[in-house]
Amino acid sequence: MNAILALENLRVEYRNREWGRTSRVAVDGLNLEVFRGEVFGFLGPNGAGKTTTLNVLLGFTPASCGAAYLFGVNVREPIARRRIGYLPELTYYYKFLTAEELLRFYARIFHLSSAETERRIDAVLALVELQSARRQPIRTYSKGMQQRVGLAQALINEPELLILDEPTSGLDPLGRMKVRTIIQRLKNEGKTVFFSSHELGEVETVCDRVAILHQGVLKAAGRVDDLARQYQGNLEQVFLKVIGYHDND
Amino acid sequence: MPSPYLTLAFLAVFCFSLATRMQVWFLNWSGNRLQSASILKVLLGDSRRLFANQSFVEADVYFHGGYYPSLFDRPPGHVPAVSTAEIHGGRSPHNDLPNFLIPSDDWIARFGRHFVPSEHIHLDKPSQVGEILPWLWLSAELDPNRVQTYTVASFWLRRMGKVNEAEQFLRQGWRANPDSYAILFELGSLYDENRHDPIRARNLWELALRKWQAQETVKPKPDNFAYEQITAHLARLEEREGNRNLALHYLDLLKKVSPDPAAIQHQINRLQRPK
Amino acid sequence: MINAWAVALVVIKELYRRKDFYVLFILTALITLMLGALNFFNDRQIARYLKEICLLLIWLSALAIAVVTSARQIPAERENRTIFPLLAKPITRAQVVAGKFLGCWLACGLVLAVFYLFFVVISGSREHLWPLANYFQAIWLHWWMLAVVIAMTLLGSVVFSAPSANVTISMLVVIGILLLGRHLHQVALRLTEPGQTILSVLYFALPHLEFFDVRDLIIHDWGLIPWSILGLATLYAAGYTALFLTAAWLVFRRQNLN
Repeated sequence: MNAILALENLRVEYRNREWGRTSRVAVDGLNLEVFRGEVFGFLGPNGAGKTTTLNVLLGFTPASCGAAYLFGVNVREPIARRRIGYLPELTYYYKFLTAEELLRFYARIFHLSSAETERRIDAVLALVELQSARRQPIRTYSKGMQQRVGLAQALINEPELLILDEPTSGLDPLGRMKVRTIIQRLKNEGKTVFFSSHELGEVETVCDRVAILHQGVLKAAGRVDDLARQYQGNLEQVFLKVIGYHDND
Repeated sequence: MPSPYLTLAFLAVFCFSLATRMQVWFLNWSGNRLQSASILKVLLGDSRRLFANQSFVEADVYFHGGYYPSLFDRPPGHVPAVSTAEIHGGRSPHNDLPNFLIPSDDWIARFGRHFVPSEHIHLDKPSQVGEILPWLWLSAELDPNRVQTYTVASFWLRRMGKVNEAEQFLRQGWRANPDSYAILFELGSLYDENRHDPIRARNLWELALRKWQAQETVKPKPDNFAYEQITAHLARLEEREGNRNLALHYLDLLKKVSPDPAAIQHQINRLQRPK
Repeated sequence: MINAWAVALVVIKELYRRKDFYVLFILTALITLMLGALNFFNDRQIARYLKEICLLLIWLSALAIAVVTSARQIPAERENRTIFPLLAKPITRAQVVAGKFLGCWLACGLVLAVFYLFFVVISGSREHLWPLANYFQAIWLHWWMLAVVIAMTLLGSVVFSAPSANVTISMLVVIGILLLGRHLHQVALRLTEPGQTILSVLYFALPHLEFFDVRDLIIHDWGLIPWSILGLATLYAAGYTALFLTAAWLVFRRQNLN
């Protein structure tokens, strides 16, 4: 089975701006594969290197060493991003645009036809329950609504792979529930979802497989139930054990 | 807590009392109310003289249809043409300099000449020369003591047939500069040439001559050009009015400062000859 | 090209939904109309001072809009994190730079069209002359000058992290070139080495924006610029625009957006 997301020996170093010297290794020797139809949870404490990995996958940050592929295409090629949708953590969209205009703008980048664009806008706005606010400027939206607009823009091209960075971060319980429901629906539709999160309960509910990253190094990866058996506990306990945290620490 | 109506009434009484007090102070105020009333003057302060000068130069730029040397092209001692050529008897400092821009020595400078006025012209037509007037007006507004502004504006206004406006502007200048012989001379010329009123012209020129004598004789380098103008015009007027002795008197005065005394002597001889 | 065009449309929308343009246009119109109401010696034919003031305000407004709009494009995308969902789409950084430039330039074109329409009406109502070809040349050159300014400011926006620093530096450079550009060589010739060489190199290297300032020709009713010269000036501006955009892309393409 071909992986639709693959990381090969990925290493990312942040350099000291003034002297050009290596100051920190954010990700070191990361190998990972995500297959079609999976919901994959990418876990790790703050500063573990999750967002850096996503940044490499999306072409925001160059890899110092190794490579990343989407659908078999190196992520340095823009074409690699044609079949993906991305929802960043805490993103603000162009506030002077309405949700409809924003989605039309992104649809244009995917070269969708006018009819297809309108069809997709209706569909994704219905999915994220924003039809009634579609002609309101985004600056008038609540945080939850903005996050749902984000999800709508990530889905505008009917992506085969969705990359979500902390999709429920900062949302109230109702907002989290709505986002979780949407991810569940996408899973049911057979989409591949790759998302990073701190919310272990949420990950346990929706993910097929997880990977746990700590200090830039992959510590564990596998099916949620396999890891639970191996470490004899629920996902939270697995996570704490893997990163080396003990109650008496 | 006092009633709000009582507070309002108290404030109204206070404001009224303050206004009556300030009105008296304002009426007795010895400052120059006319000047202070202009926001522009208050804002610019003494630097307004610099702006007035710039405004005067701008009038010259307009007189040349925008063809004007920059600071880098301008030769030392460059004098605005708008104030010299015609007003002072056709003497222009650059009549013989059709191109006063530095020759372009590289392709950038040569190419750049296509985008700026690059031909020496003067706005001679009365219909066109009015374009310089707003800058002269502004110059006078900014610096009412700049005499040249009034005389130059008057010269061009008279050429445009706007005699009333010229007189009004000169009188405005005279109020601001009561000792200016140049304004008096220009006003006299207006009465003589445009109003055909030799009596007023004579009075004004005689006054101009007295002012000149009072101010310039004590200077190491007196303004002889103005003296020539006043005496020559007075001599011409008196000759025209049949006052030969007075005409000879002014020609005598003129001969002392003229760069061409022989020509003046020739005129004196002509007048002394019995008819 | 479609991607660049999509980005450009968002930039244009942003400009007409912000208040900057309207404020500057109303100010220009008000100042011009107030000055037009002044009476100078009862002469209603006087027009050139009004043309000069109006064109000066148009130049200042257009410059402010061009520099401020283009300086904040990429930094604002980064600050508001809108760059991330954008670059996660199949769009290259070159297309983003091109789109930002195109948007700013077209938006400035619209601004110029509105401002110059006002100018033509004011000028025509005074002088009863309609030298439309001359006005076209003035707008065309002005628009191309703004292309160079926008490209230069975009380059600044990927070099300097703070948009305010970029706005200040870009404004100083543009105004400096407009005021002193044509005289640099003369100044250089009066200097000793190495000042002479440095200033001479600068003179030949920097974009001579003053070529595109034909206000004096318009104010004083001079004739048309030869069309071949206009074409050469357009090529000159296009060359510098391409140069600055390429430099902006080269810097931006390798930038870590983290």
